[in-house]
Amino acid sequence: MNLSLPSHNSRGALLNLLLALADDELVLGHRDSEWTGHAPILEEDIAFSNIAQDEIGHSLVWLTLYEQLTGRTPDAMGFERKPEEFMCCRFVEYPKGDFAYTVVRQYLFDLAEKVRLESFLDSSFEVLGETAQKLLREESYHLLHASGLVERLGDATEESHRRMQAAVDVAFPQSLGMFEELEGEQELIDAGVFPGNKALLSGWLKQAVPFLRKVSLTPPVKGENESCTVLCPVDDGGRNGRHTEHLKGLIDDMQKVYRLAPGPNW
Amino acid sequence: MDTQWETYEVFHQSRRGEPHSYVGSVHAPDPHMALQLARDQFARRLQCVSLWVVRSGDITATDYQDDDFFARVTDKSYRDPKAFDAPDKLHPE
Repeated sequence: MNLSLPSHNSRGALLNLLLALADDELVLGHRDSEWTGHAPILEEDIAFSNIAQDEIGHSLVWLTLYEQLTGRTPDAMGFERKPEEFMCCRFVEYPKGDFAYTVVRQYLFDLAEKVRLESFLDSSFEVLGETAQKLLREESYHLLHASGLVERLGDATEESHRRMQAAVDVAFPQSLGMFEELEGEQELIDAGVFPGNKALLSGWLKQAVPFLRKVSLTPPVKGENESCTVLCPVDDGGRNGRHTEHLKGLIDDMQKVYRLAPGPNW
Repeated sequence: MDTQWETYEVFHQSRRGEPHSYVGSVHAPDPHMALQLARDQFARRLQCVSLWVVRSGDITATDYQDDDFFARVTDKSYRDPKAFDAPDKLHPE
């Protein structure tokens, strides 16, 4: 595996990028796991449990890469950090809500994930591209699952439409926080590591907006494609350690066993 | 309005050339979602190269009440393959 950095200056920013990727997956994976035993239908219960394991597995992939660059183990990163040291976006921290919110969040997240991973395919940091290629095989099925549910629930009945629209109203401003600029991001753009969050946001909007409209859901956005303007506030801060109050509870839960017996052999 | 999803019967193939075997059923709103949900239920642990789903209602079945359908009223032991060993596997490794 070629771990040589594309430029010396980009090291700090690259580590930020890896942590943002890992923490998004870890925290959303944990939220998805909260449906185990509670989803509205058995099949979705199993599907969400399955996706939760996949997301946490992806987090481990990024944290293993992080370990190769820093020596800090995935266990230490997952179980010894304080909430303010996490770099996930606030979007993934919010409680799972009702099934409509979960489905809308999963769709918006999975699409962003796909756009992000595809942008890594020709990264100057080769291992990023190799990893993306591997993860995309699984992520594209997550997206198929989530988009399938959004498509079917968007305009199925009056109630499903009302609840899905309410979920879009809540989730959309939060989801924009996925594209918050990372510290040192310009270094990564200059070094050809990835095109930057602004470019990813525009690629994401280009797909998310027409898809939601097609299924009778209205995102808070004016116009389309290049001339598309976001009309809502952006709920960001997570990439800089400004998290929601919900993250602490999630991390307390996740780290409970580890704190009782630090350094376990799982 | 009935909001219960229909059931689909799921058939799983572990390798190309093997027969698809019946593994169970899933609830789904349509065949495409049924395939996706079947993937999560049945292809998660088992190795899988192909899945089939069939709407349960599309299967025409015999009636358990109709015993006569399968009745053997005279001795038909001559039909049983007793004189040779049938291989367990029709598709050897």
